[in-house]
Amino acid sequence: GCKFDAGQVQQVLEGALASALGTMVYSPQGSAPLAQSLAELLRSQAKEVVPPRYKLVCHVLLGQQGQQSLLVASRALWDPESDSFASATFSNTSLFAVATVHGVYFE
Amino acid sequence: MIFNADEAHNIVKELGYAFRYCRSSSEDFVIESVLGKADYNHNKVNQWTAAIVEQSLTHLVKLGKTYKYIVTCAVMQRSGAGLHTASSCFWDTTTDGTCTVRWENRTMNCIVNVFAVAIIL
Repeated sequence: GCKFDAGQVQQVLEGALASALGTMVYSPQGSAPLAQSLAELLRSQAKEVVPPRYKLVCHVLLGQQGQQSLLVASRALWDPESDSFASATFSNTSLFAVATVHGVYFE
Repeated sequence: MIFNADEAHNIVKELGYAFRYCRSSSEDFVIESVLGKADYNHNKVNQWTAAIVEQSLTHLVKLGKTYKYIVTCAVMQRSGAGLHTASSCFWDTTTDGTCTVRWENRTMNCIVNVFAVAIIL
């Protein structure tokens, strides 16, 4: 069948983040459920463009825009022929978000 | 085959024990051995996160289960700003699982996620 298309998934993530967060303002109480609903939204949108038999892991970091520095890294043990990942970031004056989707082929 | 989140959590905790010379009760040892008493350093963050994910992955492999693993690590400078992380997975809930370890010192926060996805051979 087809393979996980990282470029396409990245575009989906970028579009979804921009439209969901747009001019959203960071708030401590609201951002926790927002992060969770974002993760679910991105996962379901990614699922639509990913071929069948792929398991997906969608991970979202949502933070307050400040003077701090942040680095996100990941490593996986998988089959590089079939498995891949895509990531996207979004930021405005109040908050930032980092989203990654890993696609693992279910053999 | 059931994913044992406790096992994965303990691996991340116990890994660095051999490297540590100071005993601590429930610290998260992989992270502790890499970040320990260091202060946030923008130039070193890359090699720190790489070391954490690599060491975690190596020890997960030693469990010898037929799983694919995804390990993510986020290191953030502590500045009073808020941070939330969330994840959503499309998988087989009877065999796949995840665990998260949080760690911090005076100058930085570290969050490590382990996702284990079963494969059928």
